[in-house]
Amino acid sequence: VTVRVGVVGAGVMGSVHLANLLALGCTVFVYSVTGAEDLSAGRAVVCRSYEELLESVDWVLIATPTDTHHGLARAALDAGRDLIVEKPLARTTAEAIDVMTAADAAGRQVWPGHVVRFFPEYRLLRDAVVENRLGELAVLRFTRAGNFPDRSPWFGDVRRSGGIVFDQMIHDLDIALWLAGPVTQVSAVGREDDSGPSPVHAAHVTLRHASGAISLVSGTWGAPQLPFLTSFAVAGTGGFLEHSSDRERTVSSYLAASTERDGRLPAPRAQDPYLDELRAFLDPPESPPVTGWDAVEAVRVAEAALQSLETGQPTELAP
Amino acid sequence: VTRAGARLAVGVMSRAHVHADGYIGLLAAAPDVDVFVADPDGAAGDPGRRDDGLPSGVTYLPDYDALLDRGLDGVIITSETAHHAALVELAAEAGTAILCEKPLATSAAEARAIASAIRRTGSPFMIAYPVRFMAGCQELSASVRAGQLGRLVSIRGTNNGRLPVHRPWFVDPALSGGGALFDHVVHVADLIEAIQPARPRSVTAVTNQILYRDTNPSSVETGGLVTITYDSGLVAAIDCSWSLPSTAPTWGGLTVHVTGTLGDSGVDPFRPRLRGIEAALGRAVELPYGDSGDPPLIADFLRMARFRESVQPDLGVALRTLGIVLAAVESDRTGRTVDVPDLG
Repeated sequence: VTVRVGVVGAGVMGSVHLANLLALGCTVFVYSVTGAEDLSAGRAVVCRSYEELLESVDWVLIATPTDTHHGLARAALDAGRDLIVEKPLARTTAEAIDVMTAADAAGRQVWPGHVVRFFPEYRLLRDAVVENRLGELAVLRFTRAGNFPDRSPWFGDVRRSGGIVFDQMIHDLDIALWLAGPVTQVSAVGREDDSGPSPVHAAHVTLRHASGAISLVSGTWGAPQLPFLTSFAVAGTGGFLEHSSDRERTVSSYLAASTERDGRLPAPRAQDPYLDELRAFLDPPESPPVTGWDAVEAVRVAEAALQSLETGQPTELAP
Repeated sequence: VTRAGARLAVGVMSRAHVHADGYIGLLAAAPDVDVFVADPDGAAGDPGRRDDGLPSGVTYLPDYDALLDRGLDGVIITSETAHHAALVELAAEAGTAILCEKPLATSAAEARAIASAIRRTGSPFMIAYPVRFMAGCQELSASVRAGQLGRLVSIRGTNNGRLPVHRPWFVDPALSGGGALFDHVVHVADLIEAIQPARPRSVTAVTNQILYRDTNPSSVETGGLVTITYDSGLVAAIDCSWSLPSTAPTWGGLTVHVTGTLGDSGVDPFRPRLRGIEAALGRAVELPYGDSGDPPLIADFLRMARFRESVQPDLGVALRTLGIVLAAVESDRTGRTVDVPDLG
């Protein structure tokens, strides 16, 4: 019997997941307010309502604007379905906790799309930390940059997406938590400049971890020509590891006409982390790389960063 | 007023800072400069202190009075940071142009004393931030000034290195002010001053003492992350940590990345180097060959001393960049975001 998965949302992530679910042999159903037919392109069953999708599937994959995650997730859990939810798990900590509490009470699975944990450079980093190759962690630094996500207006709407801190930087906030553990203080500065031909948003978030380690997460939604770029540098008493996606490219070309760069998503890889992620969610290993409660913690830290942006002061977090 | 063509007399006050000898070498190599050095606080017999190993043609003098009696056109102050204020006051009273090693001071009181002495005497003043003179940084400045990045939105900088062991006072807060915050925030902060006009308004910082725990007797900060908001709305983040292990093949480096409304640009001025492996130990070998900011810095200092004209980075830059450090210390201590103090 093939696994039946319902994809909700027909944006970039819905499209990525649909292709990978088909590659994994799933039967896919699609529901979206708009664009479901185009997304399916004959490859999936298009549902006319969310209720119809819920009745047809074993798993629901939510890839909609962040502020809709909570309502859709609760409805899926109430219908007894297991869940994969794109990050952030929900728009607020209260909503994220509510989803996980309901899931635990119902005995259902919820897996968050913190796909960066499936990228080999971050897995190797995590393995090195777990194997104590870096000793006691001291200073962690992460950057993530791409062009401004103008494909859909909700990304730039902080009420819906939480803005760059919530939508983009939550990846590295999650990695910082994964590596250095719980956070006791969050501070953020940010700037949104919409005066140019395309908006540019950027922010820096600093974290104090309960362990004593400190982290800096910097995010950029930049000019249209900006490619997707990530980097990290993690230092401990045993040494440091650093990575820059820009410096580890395998191809350097100097062509007559510059090729189009996609600044929204990482460059495609032979071993696709998005595929690895779905494989792990649909057939979880004994110790899964990420859990729903990890996603709650990432939302909590991102929310504390948003609060710091608003108050202009660091936000203290209870353990 | 000294005119072009005449010989310049330049003094160096103290060799406590390791940068002193680089400056002395450049001065000694200049064809029209007479160089005088006094290092009365150096212990006799200490390598690199007092008159030990000075280049030929450099005159060593026993104390600062004897040095300033030479009718100097300019002095370079390379003492422990906590002694800058006293030496600046001496030099300013003598009416000479001053190049002061970074950071300016260890406290707001010292910084205000320096500002007051400089303004009272009208002495030309420059702070020794050589990084902005490096070719890559000049190129970044030029592209920002040409408008190629549009309006600046965000800057991130790193200045990471080994814990400085060459002179123990670097980790003695009574002499250095503190650790990595005092050593490494100012270079990036100066580069931000160099490329754009907005002034730093508020600072948030977190630090720790996890790295180099065993070689840090006063527990100064070895890890430090600082964010700054400028009065234009520009935001910046600086990682100033001494996060390179003592076994690293070189001292470290500095990077600055700028995001603007029209594009991004980054500079890694210390990057150029040969990279290899030493077969016997399997250790990394790195042989840097990038340009140094010291020659153009000293050239501008000599121009300031000769013509008594103002050059950059000046007292205002020195005060604002130190203000960021002092605000960072306060922020880390209180857990609050704090305003950059007005140091005069």
